[in-house]
Amino acid sequence: MLALEAVTVRFGGLVALREVSFTVAQGEVLGLVGPNGAGKTTLFNAISGLIRPRGRILFEDRDITRAPLHRRARLGIGRSFQIPQPMKHLTVRENLEVAQVFGAGRRDPARLTEILEVMDLGGQADREADGALALQELKRLEIAKALATEPRLLLLDEVLAGLESGAKRAFAAKLRELHARFALTIVIVEHDIETILGLCSRAVVLDFGQVIADGAPAAVFRDPKVVASYTGAVDA
Amino acid sequence: MRDLILQALFSGLLIGGVYALVALGLALSFGAMRIINLAHGELVLIAAYAAYVVEARGGVSPYWAIPLALAIVSVVGAVLFLMIDRIREHRELNSLILTYGVGIVLTNAVLLAFASDVRTTTAPALQDAVTLGPVYAMAGEIVAFGLSLVLMVALWWWLKRSWYGRAVRAVSSNRAAATLMGINPLRTELVAFLVAGALASFAGVALYTMSVVQPALGHALTVKAFIVTVLAGVGSIPGVFLAALLLGVTEALTVTLASSALQELAGMVLFLLVLFLLPSGLFGARARRG
Amino acid sequence: MASPRAPLPGLALAAAFLVLAALPLLLGASNYLLGLLISALILAGVALAWALLGNLGGMVSFGHAAFFGVGGYASALLAGKLGLPVLLTVPLGGLLAALASLAMLPALRLSGPYFALAILAYAQIFRILATEASSLTGGAAGLQRYPGLPTVFGLDLASRPGAYALLVALVALGCLAYAAIRRSALGLALRAIAESEDATRVVGVNSVLLKAWMLALSAFITGLFGALNAHIIGFLEPDYAFAGSWSVLPIIASVFGGYRTVLGPVGGAVVIYLFDQVVAKGLIAVGHQILLGLLLVAMVLAAPNGLLGLLERKGGARAGA
Repeated sequence: MLALEAVTVRFGGLVALREVSFTVAQGEVLGLVGPNGAGKTTLFNAISGLIRPRGRILFEDRDITRAPLHRRARLGIGRSFQIPQPMKHLTVRENLEVAQVFGAGRRDPARLTEILEVMDLGGQADREADGALALQELKRLEIAKALATEPRLLLLDEVLAGLESGAKRAFAAKLRELHARFALTIVIVEHDIETILGLCSRAVVLDFGQVIADGAPAAVFRDPKVVASYTGAVDA
Repeated sequence: MRDLILQALFSGLLIGGVYALVALGLALSFGAMRIINLAHGELVLIAAYAAYVVEARGGVSPYWAIPLALAIVSVVGAVLFLMIDRIREHRELNSLILTYGVGIVLTNAVLLAFASDVRTTTAPALQDAVTLGPVYAMAGEIVAFGLSLVLMVALWWWLKRSWYGRAVRAVSSNRAAATLMGINPLRTELVAFLVAGALASFAGVALYTMSVVQPALGHALTVKAFIVTVLAGVGSIPGVFLAALLLGVTEALTVTLASSALQELAGMVLFLLVLFLLPSGLFGARARRG
Repeated sequence: MASPRAPLPGLALAAAFLVLAALPLLLGASNYLLGLLISALILAGVALAWALLGNLGGMVSFGHAAFFGVGGYASALLAGKLGLPVLLTVPLGGLLAALASLAMLPALRLSGPYFALAILAYAQIFRILATEASSLTGGAAGLQRYPGLPTVFGLDLASRPGAYALLVALVALGCLAYAAIRRSALGLALRAIAESEDATRVVGVNSVLLKAWMLALSAFITGLFGALNAHIIGFLEPDYAFAGSWSVLPIIASVFGGYRTVLGPVGGAVVIYLFDQVVAKGLIAVGHQILLGLLLVAMVLAAPNGLLGLLERKGGARAGA
């Protein structure tokens, strides 16, 4: 479904991503892990089109390396931002409305209601999407907005951060529900090993902009290279 | 013909120095506050008329107007700054409208006080022709250009070395981080704004001593300063300086080779070309690729 | 808190235009007054176009005089030199103004404040071109031999009452179109772009295209009213058709009335124009714009949402409580 071929991103002299190559299969839930600054968000930015990398990015066998941001959303790539970026001055429902009309190219209020219910935002539907909402509500809105564009690939950037462990398990269950209900392929950035083990069918580990491990989560987390680079960051 | 072109090149370079001062002021206040001061050209205008008043009414050299211009422009600049700071909602749009309104007020205030007549220095010493090989200039033009160079070096030194200059650079690049480092962003912005006003003051006096001034000049200068910053791309002082010289030379050549009516158009065409072909400016190639 | 998206002020709109339409009857319809109101409505049309771009496109334009002038000259030339019917040349004037706005597209890449400056610079180009292309435009001397508005279905649009009625209708139509766009998903997306561009693009909104459409639409409306104005007054010269006041007055009118509302710019235009012509020019012959400048500064500081914005906010707060 998604293929990255030698994706490289430089910021001035700093190499944020170095020849990153891997593929994501239809229906997978892939955990993208690695210490802070490993390039996870940069990779999301490259896939969703906020930055233009070198190398190639193929989505459903179509080369999207140079496709503009908005077109990727229409092609079926949805993403959430680590720091929620709601469309301010619009209500929660209006946020979804814009996402649906422009991202999915159709108008289906019933589906928006369904998304609002699934994401526990029903009560906030008519509130303005900025300071008035709690951080966790804004994070759920991030996902809801992405869902409204009817994506086939969903990129989730640390949507579970800041939740205590019980809430985290509940939310992971919610993500599994979304995965099945909307027939999604998910790539999720997450630090918590337990969550990755419980949620993901596969994990890719980035360190200093390079893939250092790729495989079943349980095996990946036993990899000495991963242990060496990753444990420090988890404690932090 | 060759002499005419050489003369145009030379005169263009000289006025370009003043354009650079105006453009650097505009860029400095934008860098610090993320706000374009559309009344920046009017600050220059006030300084130019201060020079006119000192010379015509006080009967002394217009250079004596520099302290007066600095004082008036600083007060006007500080009031403008406080007004901008009061804007809470839709800061970007509303500050544009606000400074535009202030520009209208200042231009019309000058118009009311001094009428729309064209003014320039009457000091014989400043109008003396200085011959340099095949070209000549008025003494006032030479002094103005020298003054611009000195001020640009001073600005460069200030931004690089002084505490406030560094603070201005820090606030421009990352406001939140600068605040964490203990920099008071509001005071830093005010300082940047006042330094921009000081550059405008010198530019105004210089313009009066080397060229003609009239109330509509302020607006035209804001546009010119903007064109220079677009030409220069991501700002550096030498980049702005070169872009300003380019604008001055282009204007002067247009007047010599075509017609003075097309002078303003030349700058605009240059601006549109750069906008179409080199969106990151003449000297911003590296930033574009990055 | 309720969304600030006000309900379509249909009733208010209808009432306002009934008042506007009935105004000349109530006031005895002196020709002088009608003339003033006609000019005020021309300004209202431009202010509406300006506010549409500012509110929905998030772009402050300091150069609408360019579109106004292009519309006026295009229509006058097409009617005068090619002999096309005025009813056709007026919308063509609008279209050519929209076409002229296409040349601004590269400027859309510039961030907000720089865009505002670009359009400021851009407006100057047209005035200089109109002055210099004297074989076509008559240059600085001006253009005056072209037809006026025709008679349609027995209504003489060239007469002052006729022109007035036409303008009331067109401004009302403009308001309705604006309100409809503002309430659509397109309008929502446009409002979102102004504050959070990346967040809007990432859900599939082509922000540059949307902004370009708004710019073209705003230019079209401005050009249309510029063309109507040209045929109503029957005389054009570059310093008039491209005058800075066609950029300045719509801004002041919109900010005064509230540029985030539909009716604000229209009401603002009528008030500001009458104030400028009747009060300001009487007080200060040269430099009367200083009063408008002061008003603009005061409004931005004290009531950035305009007078109507203040009222709407109060109403909205009550409805939301």
